Amino acid sequence: MSNNKYKVLVVEDDQSVASMIQTILETNGYQVLTAQRCQQGILMMTSHVPDLVLLDLGLPDMDGEEFIRVTRCSSAIPIIVLSARSEEADKVSALDLGANDYITKPFGTAELLARVRASLRTNRMNVLSSVPNSVFELDDLIIDYDRRQVSVAGRVVHLTQTEFNILSFLSQHVGKVMTYSVIIRAIWGAMDDGSVKKLQVNMANIRKKLGCIPGENRYIINELGVGYRMPDRND
Amino acid sequence: MASKKHIIADILFTIGTLFTVFLVNLFLVEHFGTKTMTPMIFVLGVFLVSWQTQGYHWGIVASVISVLLVNWAFTYPYWAFDLMSPECISSAAVMMIVATMTGALTTRLKQQEKLKAEAEKERMRGNLLRAVSHDLRTPLTSIYGSCSVIIENFDSIPRERQLRLLKDIQTDAQWLNRMVENLLSVTRVDADKVRLSKHGTVLEELIDALIVKFRKHYPNQKVDVSLPEGFVRIPMDPVLIEQVLMNLLENAVFHAEGMKHLWLKVELQDNLARFSVEDDGCGIPQDRMQHLFTGLLESENTVDSTRNNMGIGLSVCRTIIRAHDSELKAGNRPQGGAVFSFALEMEENEYVEQ
Repeated sequence: MSNNKYKVLVVEDDQSVASMIQTILETNGYQVLTAQRCQQGILMMTSHVPDLVLLDLGLPDMDGEEFIRVTRCSSAIPIIVLSARSEEADKVSALDLGANDYITKPFGTAELLARVRASLRTNRMNVLSSVPNSVFELDDLIIDYDRRQVSVAGRVVHLTQTEFNILSFLSQHVGKVMTYSVIIRAIWGAMDDGSVKKLQVNMANIRKKLGCIPGENRYIINELGVGYRMPDRND
Repeated sequence: MASKKHIIADILFTIGTLFTVFLVNLFLVEHFGTKTMTPMIFVLGVFLVSWQTQGYHWGIVASVISVLLVNWAFTYPYWAFDLMSPECISSAAVMMIVATMTGALTTRLKQQEKLKAEAEKERMRGNLLRAVSHDLRTPLTSIYGSCSVIIENFDSIPRERQLRLLKDIQTDAQWLNRMVENLLSVTRVDADKVRLSKHGTVLEELIDALIVKFRKHYPNQKVDVSLPEGFVRIPMDPVLIEQVLMNLLENAVFHAEGMKHLWLKVELQDNLARFSVEDDGCGIPQDRMQHLFTGLLESENTVDSTRNNMGIGLSVCRTIIRAHDSELKAGNRPQGGAVFSFALEMEENEYVEQ
């Protein structure tokens, strides 16, 4: 057994879903631990110290949100939430509590692996380099953090200060969905009734300036009713 | 059960009716000098009150007041009470009986109407369920069958054949998932509209998410999108409206035979955003127009039908749009092809600081 494999903890009460996830991950070179209950999962967190958690929200013994709250007290380990479509509200609150990402059931192999890789990568980046790269690239979009300059296909795009802050915030969390409230708190500090609309107006301006067309929006993915995500091209 | 609004309406109706009846009687007595009509008109008033109000009590109240009014104003001694006369007591009894019986009759009538509506709803639900279970069974049969074949003949079936069967299973499972999503939306909306979670949704973001999703499922189908200029925000349940538009686009892909173009348009009219999905395919035959939204006829007529999510998909769409206080319209374009449309109210566009 090689020991340099990433350790993934799967907290899921449904046997067949858990075994499917285990098969997908193990055939792709991850080491998998499984827990059927929240309590068991929390114990395994401390005893095995995994690199990533896949968490089902509807567990029988405890609310999945409680698991996130307990874990976030002591660790910044990436957590990906597995949610059914009927649990949309829970999904947003799980993200606000500190979960890194979510996958809607049912999902395919490619989707699961992409999210797992993205979460592990951003986490590694945060751990290794506290100073972010000075330049971010996504296809032909280039963000220069030092000079506060954005360009698309070599053409400089003039953004307002707020617009630049939003775009660079998303780029620093590339691959991860950021909820409206997380973005608002990062950009404006506090949240009030008009904040979401203010954010949406700014996003509309950013999209227009970057030249995005509906359906061919390459730089920012709209997660309806949840938030925004900058796609990760390294998959 | 009886809300405050109903009670106030009933009180106003009772007072109004009695006052009118009183005035009419005064008029008749003044101009024709006859009092033969008086009790009859009061009985009519009592009848109207117990017919139009809820329960018995307003009718009885009206009859008591009527007796007092007749006694006071229209029988000797005028403009004074003489409650012990046999005339008064007997007219009170008659009015009481009229009020009670009318009340009983109308209450029973209302109950019957309610039962009828309930039965109709139950029938619709049954139809939907029948159509659904038929539509669910088809892909399930194929999934179950394919799995069994692979498990029982794991070594004897060539690998390519196995792969093909597995791909069919995958397609069927995806189809089942969409179906279940549709059903989930219906139950969510059906339960008295409470689960609708409306957010101010930016039109451009909605359409973008929709087109991205549509392309993932149907990479070969092009959609011509036309949107209004500017920042448009609409209060809606974005997941459900996205599903409506997705269903409408999918319907065109599956059912519009000979389609070359598929359009998704959003136009602004005053404070309304009108969404429409148009195609230049075969259009909707007149005889199917009537049952288009019920989800029933489809599966009954074509028993061996392949996938016809259409009926259920459309009834889901209509339910969702109705929950948004609008109506889904279906029709044919004069140039040929079908068009489905609905309109949602937009948010007032006030200035937003940057």
